[in-house]
Amino acid sequence: MRAESDRVRHRVAVLVGAALAASGLAACGTNSGGAGPVTLNYYIYPDTSGATDQAVASCTKQSHGKYTISYQQLPTASDGQRLQLVRRLAAHDNTIDIMGLDVTWEAEFAQAGWLLPWTGSNKRQAEHDTLKPMLETATWKGKLYAVPDNTNTQLLWYRSDLVKTPPKTWTEMIDDSIKLAKQGKPHLIEIQGAQYEGATVWFNTMLASAGGSVLTPDAAHVSLGKPAIKALTIMKRLATSVAADPSLDVQQENDNRLAMEGGTAAFQLNYPFVYPSMKADNPKMFKSFKWAPYPEVIPGQPAHVTIGGIDLGVSSYSRYPKLAFQAALCLRNRANQLRGALVGGVPPTIISLYSDPKLFGGYPFHADILKELENASVRPKTPLYQVVSINISHLVSPPAGINAKSTEKQMVSQINNALQSKGLIP
Amino acid sequence: MSVQSQAATVRAAEQARPTRRGRLSEGARAERRLGWLLCAPAVIVMIAVTAYPIAYAVYLSLERYNLEIPSAVKFVGLSNYGAVLGSWYWWHALIVTLIITVASVAIELVLGMLLALLMHRTIFGRNTVRTSALIPYGIVTVAAAYSWFFAWTPGTGYLSALTGSSAPLSHTGQAIAVIILAEVWKTTPFMALLLLAGLSLVPEDLQRAAKVDGATAWQRFVRITLPLMKPAILVALLFRTLDAFRIFDNIYILTKGGNSTGSVSILGYDNLFGALNLGIGSAISILIFICVAIIAVLFIKGFGTAAPGTDTGRR
Amino acid sequence: MARPDTGKKVGWGAANTIAVALTLIPVLWIVSLSFKTPAGILDATFWPKQWTWSNYSSILQSSQFIRPLLNSIGIGVIATVIAVLLASMAAYAVARLAFPGKQVLIGMALLIAMFPAISLVTPMFNIERALGLFDTWPGLIIPYVAFGLPLGIYILSAFFREIPWELEKAAKMDGATPFQAFTKVIAPLAAPGMVTTAILVFLFCWNEFLFAISLTSTISARTAPAALAFFSGSSQFTSPTGPISAAAVVITIPIIIFVLFFQRRIVAGLTSGAVKG
Repeated sequence: MRAESDRVRHRVAVLVGAALAASGLAACGTNSGGAGPVTLNYYIYPDTSGATDQAVASCTKQSHGKYTISYQQLPTASDGQRLQLVRRLAAHDNTIDIMGLDVTWEAEFAQAGWLLPWTGSNKRQAEHDTLKPMLETATWKGKLYAVPDNTNTQLLWYRSDLVKTPPKTWTEMIDDSIKLAKQGKPHLIEIQGAQYEGATVWFNTMLASAGGSVLTPDAAHVSLGKPAIKALTIMKRLATSVAADPSLDVQQENDNRLAMEGGTAAFQLNYPFVYPSMKADNPKMFKSFKWAPYPEVIPGQPAHVTIGGIDLGVSSYSRYPKLAFQAALCLRNRANQLRGALVGGVPPTIISLYSDPKLFGGYPFHADILKELENASVRPKTPLYQVVSINISHLVSPPAGINAKSTEKQMVSQINNALQSKGLIP
Repeated sequence: MSVQSQAATVRAAEQARPTRRGRLSEGARAERRLGWLLCAPAVIVMIAVTAYPIAYAVYLSLERYNLEIPSAVKFVGLSNYGAVLGSWYWWHALIVTLIITVASVAIELVLGMLLALLMHRTIFGRNTVRTSALIPYGIVTVAAAYSWFFAWTPGTGYLSALTGSSAPLSHTGQAIAVIILAEVWKTTPFMALLLLAGLSLVPEDLQRAAKVDGATAWQRFVRITLPLMKPAILVALLFRTLDAFRIFDNIYILTKGGNSTGSVSILGYDNLFGALNLGIGSAISILIFICVAIIAVLFIKGFGTAAPGTDTGRR
Repeated sequence: MARPDTGKKVGWGAANTIAVALTLIPVLWIVSLSFKTPAGILDATFWPKQWTWSNYSSILQSSQFIRPLLNSIGIGVIATVIAVLLASMAAYAVARLAFPGKQVLIGMALLIAMFPAISLVTPMFNIERALGLFDTWPGLIIPYVAFGLPLGIYILSAFFREIPWELEKAAKMDGATPFQAFTKVIAPLAAPGMVTTAILVFLFCWNEFLFAISLTSTISARTAPAALAFFSGSSQFTSPTGPISAAAVVITIPIIIFVLFFQRRIVAGLTSGAVKG
């Protein structure tokens, strides 16, 4: 009878479902503790260079059996990493021990109670010989919540076959570009203008170089003001001049790199990853591929380039916090940072490494980077950074749509709303 | 009636009882039981998976709740909805979404119908056409979106080179056109497949008889094929529109919502996951749902008796 | 039947070519990208000036890709089978039987199909963690079945309505048992609808990204679309166009096989003579 066979089918389906669920539960019982060394889960971005794998292996060995570090990959994109971490930390997931944090997340994570503060000898070891601006990114309300691992900052890259001496200020650079355009030579200035974090970084660099900041030091009020207007004016000038790449509105770091290697650009504001890339992709152009410090906004005052990078934090819900602190300190120690710089391409946060000859081969620009890093600016430190950043990027991108005075006003009011958790973000 | 044959089998196995006023016949009751039984597994799965999440989402939309500060949760009633509806960001995203939805669904309906006719009637190479027609739908959306992104990037892409090294993704109108192109290319096979299924149900004899009576191909199409395809067209239009309204992947990769090309889903995503504002994010989701529900009701009312579940089940 | 004249052949041939070209040119672009070297991405040419296998070798050697591919296939197949089975039963009931609550079922299915998935992710994440289903196959199969059912029910009930049930009656009158009537007469007519549903539900599971990335954390259950989010280029800023394109090509091959296998069954049509008007 059909009804009978349906019931049988139904029961079979239930049994199959139960079997699947049971096997699923069984497969989930990995970190059950018990006998054997402790496993510390290290969540960080996927690193194809192998530097992270080697760091993990060497630190596991150095623990002499106390713990095994397990490298768990997060998505490549920074947003994706944050989402995965936030979702699980909000659910008090105790399988996360050490996390690789982007420098803008510490305030948010610390305020939410997801990070353990660094104290005592751990703190001393973390702070010793470490770049000050990086430590600033890891500090919230006077306490240190993470240890800096690697960092990054932008330089001015230019073609010496087009420009003999690199421009010192933004005004000079745009003027140089216009001159080159008149001569019919490649003249574009490559910068990140898409509506994403990169645009916020650009604005923050310009603003800090103009002597201003987004928020007041107590992170409670908006600052901006005249320096912001100056910064916005320069950004608008670039966007509406011949120096602007036609795709500026959707360009990110990779697109800038491709445009430079493709030969249409004369200048590029980008991270050092473009150097080995140009060497591999366009050896001919590489011969005239040079770097210089980031152009100034106020003539005579060095630019304060926004600092980027990764700090390592220990989760509040970790079952082995003491061991996690030790492991984190090992993962970012001198040897691992040197390897990360040479193999992984990420600049170190240990100051003395910048005078270590081993670094020079892969980092001929180490001196310029160190100078910039020591003068670097940080992005606004507030738990509501994501909202602030989205508001900023939506106002400065597309850059051609900037109207310095009114954009500054809008920014003030929108960020004020953001700080009070009022309203939507675009 | 065919249904009675089923009921008759059931009745034959039991003692037939005379029906009393107000009491269902044995057959009708057996039919009911069978109906519920057959629906039960599907209903159980659907409810078990979605009841709590949907209820939770609705409840969240009534609270001021930031994921990082779980202690500061406050019930605020409809004020989240007020904030969303009073925000220009919402209306702008809604307009962009409607433009993309209407344009892409309309184009897909026409192209899908043409493709379905081709797949159904072409006199040779049927396998090739059918297989290749479905491939765009089978390519992972993210990968396809990346391919469009690079195709339109000046200097690296063939499409950009064709249009004179322009950068369409940097201009709102052109970017929306590119997004629509990406959507249409990806999901026309979905429409085509559903319309093909509907086409296959149109009896050949009717077509032949009409031909004999002197009807042209166009007349046959409009007078015979289309009306008989109404249920299939409804399902195709309905599901495609619901999906088109919630477009996310293509926009996210092509423009990240920049240059005013953000849809309502991107707005919801930014507020829910970017700002971790669960209250506002959930309110945006519920509003998206309400819009989509309105569209669904309009379609179903418009198509009348072609909707599934309407009582033409007895033949 | 007379042999179709050349004019018609040319006409249909042209139409075929246009359709195939428009659908396949962007696919060929992905294939081309997958064979380009990182430097070659810069050419505005369609085909690579310099061909390389390195994109394919790098992803095929990585367990971070093979395992998600297998996950996608397994989860997709299981979810599709269960969804088509449950949807067929429910659609049959909706199309042919009278029982109270039919409208409620249809409405509920539509509600689930319409509800934005982004707001369901966090509660589902919490539930699955509590039940231990997080990062497991059932953890994705069950939601996929639940979200594939509305589409399945709608398509199949539309299909079942069109099947003339007099055929079944006629077969029984000719002496067939109910089971024989079902398998020999009704099932072949229902097959196109079920195959169409199966293809669409499978492709839904195949393409699905949001749940795949939110309800998994390791490759034990991560599916292919989510795995693409973990591809990284030579630096944190370089987007891995080559590997992603190569992965897209590899992921599409099972789809091509799947579709080739089933497309014959998509359209069966009504056997002539079985039905008049």
